[in-house]
Amino acid sequence: MRAYRYLYEQMVRRELRQKYKGSALGVAYYLVNPLVLTAAYALMFTYVLPYDRVEDYPLFLLIGIAVWLFFSQSLLAAATSLIDQSALVRKVRFPREIIPAAVVSVQFVIFGVLVGLLVPLAVIVRGTLDPALLLLPVLLALLGVFVLGIGLALAVLHAYFRDVAPILSAILFPWFLVTPIFFRPTDFPGQDKLPWLGEALRWGNPVAPFIESVREVLFFGRFPELGVIAYVVVAAALALGLGRALFRRMERELAVVL
Amino acid sequence: MSASVTAGEVVLEEASRAFEVRADPARTLKELFIGRARSHASGPPPIHALRDVSLRVAPGEAIGVMGRNGAGKTSTLRVLSGIVPLDSGRAECGGRIVSLLEVGAGFGRDFTGRENIHLNAALHGLSRAEVEARLEPVVAFSELGHFIDVPVRTYSSGMFVRLGFSIAAHLDADVMLIDEVLAVGDEAFQRKCLTRVRELMEGGMTLVLVSHDAGTIEAVCERVIVLDEGRIAFDGPTVEGVAAYRRLLEESAGSAVRS
Repeated sequence: MRAYRYLYEQMVRRELRQKYKGSALGVAYYLVNPLVLTAAYALMFTYVLPYDRVEDYPLFLLIGIAVWLFFSQSLLAAATSLIDQSALVRKVRFPREIIPAAVVSVQFVIFGVLVGLLVPLAVIVRGTLDPALLLLPVLLALLGVFVLGIGLALAVLHAYFRDVAPILSAILFPWFLVTPIFFRPTDFPGQDKLPWLGEALRWGNPVAPFIESVREVLFFGRFPELGVIAYVVVAAALALGLGRALFRRMERELAVVL
Repeated sequence: MSASVTAGEVVLEEASRAFEVRADPARTLKELFIGRARSHASGPPPIHALRDVSLRVAPGEAIGVMGRNGAGKTSTLRVLSGIVPLDSGRAECGGRIVSLLEVGAGFGRDFTGRENIHLNAALHGLSRAEVEARLEPVVAFSELGHFIDVPVRTYSSGMFVRLGFSIAAHLDADVMLIDEVLAVGDEAFQRKCLTRVRELMEGGMTLVLVSHDAGTIEAVCERVIVLDEGRIAFDGPTVEGVAAYRRLLEESAGSAVRS
């Protein structure tokens, strides 16, 4: 595996360059999407369906949206990655994990750039220069591992069952709506009517604790609850463990099914 | 790969592999949950590409593989390179395997020849320093001149072969697997390739060469196997192997005329 480090590097760079070449805006393109989304949701949830329980609401939104976009874009790209590279898989023997791993890495780099801009912004706007901020790299790494694990599983599943990617993209939108991106699961208007809903939204969706943890550190300038930290550690380890195991089991026949 | 084979050794032991024949090889989850039995029952029976093939090639040896279309030649190479697993039996190659299975396989069309040298070498597990050390010899061998800095989508198939073989020939392979591709190049380049292959074999490289062209095989291989319907029909010296292959062709032509 170590021998293939250069291959991984090549694939990441190639992917980045190819995307960047394809659009007139270049790298800036990656910042446009989250900003447009944030503007639209800020408008919606400030005036149409006001959620007025958080100050600096656009920044609050932007952090959640950044995490969500990394999650969803990575999975969509990873799911079709093996098919996109089927010419290689069918003709040369190399560790195939590199393909989805490179695709997720590219998204991680883009996400990293966005977070790099968010940190000074949050520190200035929110005054969140706190020791808790030191936890941020760890949280981002855990999120990366979590996404990589699911990405490996989806990539190999989609190679065998070609409706995996379309099902995924159908699921992502409702999933986005129930993910605590534009609200906090511990504080929303209808929580008295459905007392269990908050807990379900907070713990039933593996993306929610990742968003909560990043937001606690970056937006509120404090350490996340221990339960949340434990959750993201376990979720990341489980996703990678299961994703890799599934990939190893199913990758043998890849050259035949692709 | 286990440590039971030495570098350059090629082993097949009772190797069998069948392929399902389907117009669309991919299933869907939907099918898996509701319609699988139906889709499984219909359709043609599987093709047995390899049946109980046993073969041992010593390091430094060159073996030619001949056979009619569909006899299992390409499957043999795909199994040896580890791209396709066996249903039963054992397939192993010792050391670094370099395969040339298709013209332009493993090339990114929008990238230049030079960039593709990097990618292709990296696919075989080389590091950046190792690739850079080989860059000039590969470019020189390919004789592509300034085309090396042009995206390969503009290449002719002959140019693809030049680049592909030049890379393969500089990867320090212990085992090289070549499937017919050399035939695409012009005669001068073919001769150059065969000379290079002989040089590499003197350095201990093992060669498995699939070809329909007796001349190419005779030029480098002292041993030939002839495959027929997934089985080894002949295994021995080249001259006799080529004769056995020709007999097989005549028989099948004869039976085609009779039927």
